[in-house]
Amino acid sequence: MDIGQGLVAIGAGLAVLTGMMTGIGQGYAAGKAVEAVGRNPEAENKIRSMLILGAAIAETCAIYGMLIAFLLIFVF
Amino acid sequence: MDKLPVAAVITIQAEVFSILLISTVLLIFFFFANRAFKKADPFAKPSGMVLLCTILVGFFDTLTTDNMGKKAARIYAPYIGALALFMVVSNLSGLIGLAQPTANYSVTLTLALITIFLVQRTKIRTNGFKGYLHGFIEPFPPFIIMNFFGTIAPLISMSLRLFGNITSGTIIMTLFYTFTGFVSGLVPVIGGFDFIGVAVAPVLHAYFDLFAGVIQTYIFIMLTTIFIGNELPQE
Repeated sequence: MDIGQGLVAIGAGLAVLTGMMTGIGQGYAAGKAVEAVGRNPEAENKIRSMLILGAAIAETCAIYGMLIAFLLIFVF
Repeated sequence: MDKLPVAAVITIQAEVFSILLISTVLLIFFFFANRAFKKADPFAKPSGMVLLCTILVGFFDTLTTDNMGKKAARIYAPYIGALALFMVVSNLSGLIGLAQPTANYSVTLTLALITIFLVQRTKIRTNGFKGYLHGFIEPFPPFIIMNFFGTIAPLISMSLRLFGNITSGTIIMTLFYTFTGFVSGLVPVIGGFDFIGVAVAPVLHAYFDLFAGVIQTYIFIMLTTIFIGNELPQE
């Protein structure tokens, strides 16, 4: 194992740090969705689909970080 | 990485066999469900196979109707149901030791491609081909770059979400079993029996295989219906 492989592993670890902020954002969105259902229970279906769409878009950034990490590990 | 020889590139992967096995199992299930429905008495209380299928069909029907409206739901509900059943069985197949098809990027990319093609088809049907092409330069012409990437971004994110969740579960379980096997090997009397793994693994399997598999299936079909429903004409 040479030093290049270790640097690639560090780079992959740094790339996955994108998941940190995504976690915060998704948790915030889920909390707000719970509040919205508590205020307006009959709109639950609409809120659920909006929550999933919003969480999916927020998750995109973490997924790109994961893609970079995969590329770093498997290509180099 | 060295250049791979040609024979190594076109090997048959283990996922092919699990896909064939899962498809066969699902076909047999559908066959027996069909037979049970033909024999069932429409006025009696549903039970057994009939009850299970009624619940499943009702679930997919309400899910598609909520996101697409009644008319489109009649067209898309069968596809969504088949997709969800295939996906949930493949995600759970890791529990019985099969190579999960969804841990292979080709499979998830194919499933996401189908969704993207359905979305584009719905867009063309709603706006006409001219309106579809015009939609790319929507606010003003330089936006063509953004709209183009907006079209293919869901492909990357949807396929990688499913693939990443299932693959990371598999990798973490492998690491866990290796580690507990190593720790158990240090205990002299029992001869390397992996007792820590046996004690702790069910909790991790419940999260990484059961919970993540079902949730990712739900998110995938939810996103498919929402994306298609967004492009449908407003009723």
